[in-house]
Amino acid sequence: MSAVAIIGTGQTRHASRRDDVSQPELVREAAEAALADAAVGPDEVDAVLLANMELFEGRALPELWAGAGAFAAGKPCMKVATGGTSGTSGCIAAFHQVAAGLFDLVLVVGFEKHSEGHSQTGMALTDPFWDRAVASGALGNFALSISQYVAERGATAEQAALVAVKARRNAARNPHAHLRMGDLTVEEVLSSRMLADPVRLLDMCPQSDGACAIVVASAAAARRRSRRPAWVLAAETRHEQPYIGDIDRRLVTMRTLRDAARVAYRRAGIGDPLTDLDVAEIYEPVSYAELAWYEALGFCADGDAGRLVEEGVTGMEGELPVNPSGGVLSSNPVGASGVIRVAEAALQIHGRGGERQVEGARLALATGYGVYAWADAVVLGAEAGAT
Amino acid sequence: MIVEGRVQIPFRYAAGAAASRFGAALRDERRILGARCTGCDRVLCPPGPFCGSCGGAAGAAVEVGPGATLLAWTELPDRGAFALVRLDGADGALAHRLVDVPEPRVGMRLRARFAPERGGDIRDIEGFGAEGIER
Repeated sequence: MSAVAIIGTGQTRHASRRDDVSQPELVREAAEAALADAAVGPDEVDAVLLANMELFEGRALPELWAGAGAFAAGKPCMKVATGGTSGTSGCIAAFHQVAAGLFDLVLVVGFEKHSEGHSQTGMALTDPFWDRAVASGALGNFALSISQYVAERGATAEQAALVAVKARRNAARNPHAHLRMGDLTVEEVLSSRMLADPVRLLDMCPQSDGACAIVVASAAAARRRSRRPAWVLAAETRHEQPYIGDIDRRLVTMRTLRDAARVAYRRAGIGDPLTDLDVAEIYEPVSYAELAWYEALGFCADGDAGRLVEEGVTGMEGELPVNPSGGVLSSNPVGASGVIRVAEAALQIHGRGGERQVEGARLALATGYGVYAWADAVVLGAEAGAT
Repeated sequence: MIVEGRVQIPFRYAAGAAASRFGAALRDERRILGARCTGCDRVLCPPGPFCGSCGGAAGAAVEVGPGATLLAWTELPDRGAFALVRLDGADGALAHRLVDVPEPRVGMRLRARFAPERGGDIRDIEGFGAEGIER
């Protein structure tokens, strides 16, 4: 496989409602920003990849009518729709296209305008036989898994609240973030409304309107056009079996993310992720998920995640800052969220993270999480790896 | 400008062989039928068409439940309590509602509550109640 790099990123301001723009205009906002960042003209883009969960907006064929926002007309263009992993998997698909030698420059745009549809209805349109009538929906299903995780690993509500506070305080330094709550406290999280025991309102990600784009380049194009490309050292995706009840203690075992990360680390030459990685942007839809992901991603031993957040190991000044952007807990335009993870990781390698920059970041992890059905792991580095 | 409206989506989905058998037994006999995986011998309930573990097909019917064990639960203030329960004789867990379980705890015994009027799908089980508490 040939070397591939990210040479530009761009994103919108994420908010609960972006009534000021249509969906194609929202897509254009991110696409133009990424192309400008990469100094690539729209006509130079060889192919376009879109990521979006169209049921959330209730409008079919987003690639057709929103594709114009991404300058897709006349170009190869396709869409990835795998829940929360849509964005990371969209990026991975573009990496594969470029690595295969098909294209030199691919534009990836993930977007969602939750305010325009009814996401709960979209999520309810799952398995018609076993889910629709008797299951508790995305949040309830997650809460079931959290109850097993808490019982087995001893994670506490206070530790989860620390994750929620870290995310929103980090978001206060990110001009694109939706929930920027620099003064949020653990007490406020613990006293917020219960949504699905033990998950409270401030433990949960918001629903956002927003878009994010990256420009993926072949090695030759990256070296010609970019002073500091973010090289793709590994990109792994894993799918899970279809029924939640058949997955053994989902958050405890988390085999999709565990497997994806293990292989990605091996490909990227990472031995100990906590010390080797400089920064991570992980897809945490709920505060408790971030704790479970620390363990699945090998940042600590099983059962030790709470200590990591208590000791600030994953804070901005810690050994491995996790989600300097504020993460999914602070901005969640679903189709864009995975692209945001990859773009934020690339931004750190580019050294252009502004107030949220982790100084000297040279090795970054981005992950995706799609319902319980998918997990992605992407490793970016300042130096091209052996290929 | 904002354009507003509402769409309704009619649907009719074929359940497949094992789920159809499950629905018919539930409706006509108040029995819960899982299926034995032809690949790894696991008893699947709910019986989807294929085994999630090995990809084998749903084979012979195996009666499971109505007794069950609570594996995980949550409560949504506006929608009630939900759970993962392991039906006696099944290998996986079923996602369903808890009814009449004042103090849920993991590991407790439950029993399926059948709906008086049954139409041949998962709603023919109203939910799972604490074993020994009858209505």
